[in-house]
Amino acid sequence: MTDDGLGNASTNGAAPRRAPGAPLLSCAHVSKTYRLGRVDVPVLRGVALSVAQGEFVAILGASGSGKSTLLHLLGGLDHADADPATRIDFDGADLVRAGPRALDRYRHSDVGFVFQFYHLLPELTVLENVLLSAMIRHGRLGYITRRAKARADATDLLEQVGLSHRLRHRPAELSGGERQRVAIARALLNGPRLLLADEPTGNLDRVTGAKVLDALLEIRARRSQTMVVVTHDESTAARADRIVHLLDGRVVSGPPAPLAPAPEVRSVHDA
Amino acid sequence: MYQTLLTRRYLFSKVMPLLAAAAVMLCTAMVLVTWSIMGGFLSMLIGTGRTLAGNVAISWPNTGFAHYADLVDRLRTDPMIAGAAPVIETFGLVGLPDGRNETVIIRGVDGPSYASVTEYANILWWKPLDKPLPKDTLREDVRLTPLTRTSWRQIYENGLTLTRPDPVTGAPRPAVVAGIEATGFNERLIEGFYAPRAVNKRTSTGRFELIDTFMPTTGEVTINVLPLDTRGRVIETASRVFPVANEFQSGLFEIDEKVILVQLDALQDMLKMGAARRLVDDPGASAAPTPQPAAEPDDDAFTSEPARRLVDDPARVTHVLVRGTGPMPSTPDAERLKARVRAIYEGFANDHPGAVPDVFSIRIQTWEDQNRTMIQAVRKETAVVLFVFSFISLTAVFLTLAIFWSMISEKTRDIGVLRALGAGRAGVAGLWIGYGLVIGVVGSLLGLALAYAIVLNINPIHDWLGRQLGIVIWDPRIYYFVKIPSRVEPDKALIVLVGGILSCAVGAAWPAIRAATMHPVRALRFE
Repeated sequence: MTDDGLGNASTNGAAPRRAPGAPLLSCAHVSKTYRLGRVDVPVLRGVALSVAQGEFVAILGASGSGKSTLLHLLGGLDHADADPATRIDFDGADLVRAGPRALDRYRHSDVGFVFQFYHLLPELTVLENVLLSAMIRHGRLGYITRRAKARADATDLLEQVGLSHRLRHRPAELSGGERQRVAIARALLNGPRLLLADEPTGNLDRVTGAKVLDALLEIRARRSQTMVVVTHDESTAARADRIVHLLDGRVVSGPPAPLAPAPEVRSVHDA
Repeated sequence: MYQTLLTRRYLFSKVMPLLAAAAVMLCTAMVLVTWSIMGGFLSMLIGTGRTLAGNVAISWPNTGFAHYADLVDRLRTDPMIAGAAPVIETFGLVGLPDGRNETVIIRGVDGPSYASVTEYANILWWKPLDKPLPKDTLREDVRLTPLTRTSWRQIYENGLTLTRPDPVTGAPRPAVVAGIEATGFNERLIEGFYAPRAVNKRTSTGRFELIDTFMPTTGEVTINVLPLDTRGRVIETASRVFPVANEFQSGLFEIDEKVILVQLDALQDMLKMGAARRLVDDPGASAAPTPQPAAEPDDDAFTSEPARRLVDDPARVTHVLVRGTGPMPSTPDAERLKARVRAIYEGFANDHPGAVPDVFSIRIQTWEDQNRTMIQAVRKETAVVLFVFSFISLTAVFLTLAIFWSMISEKTRDIGVLRALGAGRAGVAGLWIGYGLVIGVVGSLLGLALAYAIVLNINPIHDWLGRQLGIVIWDPRIYYFVKIPSRVEPDKALIVLVGGILSCAVGAAWPAIRAATMHPVRALRFE
């Protein structure tokens, strides 16, 4: 019997609990409201979403549409508003009602995060930053017994993202694109079934961003990685299998309608 | 595992944790230095007893008690007892060559037995010296210079036997051994040795005469005592001139200033405590009528004087000092020895009924008992000082708390990253508490090293400060000892070390909890 990371036992360790054909990740009736002083700010309103195994889904929306919040909820970093109808399922297990330890296990075993601002630890080298996820997952004794394999996997991943010559460098010595590639390697070291990326190219210039996205997609293709990428960039979203549009905290079908053109302003001198 | 890696990196990547460790180091060193010196003072005080008075003293002051030779023999045969020595202790006046008279405690001792119970042989000051004292770099100690008319070895032997050869006949005369500070003729130099002072004495003609103040060669003093009868009444004043055989330094200033040793039988003689014969009433014998003049002309009554007889009045001493076997005993060991001595005395008293004080009246005390007031005062003072310094050490706790609070604010995003990667709250808290422990270990170990360095060199440091500031900081006349205690006890060091480490862990606890309970998303967005 093995644990899938959400406290659900599995007889063969690899067989999903979800029904055949069911999505790997799904959510329904997901709402999130932030309280700022006395004011409630609804960020998500009844969002529903599903991601199939091996699918690349882009969540596209403008700034403030709630897409990062949705990603945090899908990644178990935050909690949705309490509602009996709310469900966030990963591989058939309910994340909404999972306890803190179950969510910790979900995050270090099943999910890989890539953030817009990389979030590398500045005191650690490139290799140590990547190995951090293995240290957290396996614990002290577990990591000691797996250290050699973890280092080999980390080195291999860094080679795949083109950073094998930077293993001993600190993040401060890397460019933005290089840091993001380190973050991608870190997110993938534990072999997560789901990769969540929050604006992975948002802090990069167009050229570098394109290269990072290429690296991400290359890895995705190699590993049949299920990915959810949050972005406001249509060109990034265009490379996904499916685009989910988010507008004012709601999923809308298709891209939102363009705004009506501004009324013509004529000068008093145009007479 | 990540906790160890991050702790190592955080420790050396920032100045703040090093400052925290420095604060812990200073607090640890401060507490340990204070505790060592105060505790060392107490230990020296308790340990000095064995130097001067053995472990247990049986005493019957002023009038003394008889048959002490029997008591000494009984004590010496006991396996718990290494030695026993009879001593007389009384107050008196010493007349000095420069005309002064000082009040002193005079102890009559038998040299060999006194040396078996105390450290007498080691505390004699004037003796041959193989090498100079550590601070005497210029070799100015007079003991390094051979004498012309005698030798240091002879002077030392004189001290052991409390005699000095007569300059004419060469026969040994009973002599005194005075505390090195008693005459006032010795100046203690900063190098640690004594130098005899030149003293001018005003003569009867009004002129000044230079006195040779090196007492062990030609010096003489006058000892004046008050003998008492068995009922404690003053009989007469006894005075005698004694040559000075040597001088002693016990390390206890008050003793060195106030005590003069003389031969036991010489003092017994002066105090009328030697063996003698005396008349006592004999109620059993019939009284012989003695004609008495009548009080009135017609009163022809006769009165009778009670019959008397001569009895032996054995020699008396006021004290018998006892030394236990083995090294310096702890307080519980001294109490056990005291109980044993009491049992032996009880048997002795039962065998000499009426001739010696009974076991309930005689005073049987350890050195601690004899100096209980002072020892308790020092103990309380040590406890109070430690209490106050422990409060000061709370600064280490709050400093660690403040530094960690600041560091966690700085590392908020890192904490968010760790949580996003799946680190649990316990792991994050463990990271910061472990970090606090590491700072505690580093700071406390450094503090320990600093404390050892200070305490072991406290006397040179004190002397250097005295030279720089021109004052005597540790004046033996105030602080009772001639040297500052300079030993760190391992158990105290361990307590202070553990306390320092725990202080840091406690200081880090609240910030650690704060880090662990941070909302991951808010932490990631923290600016």
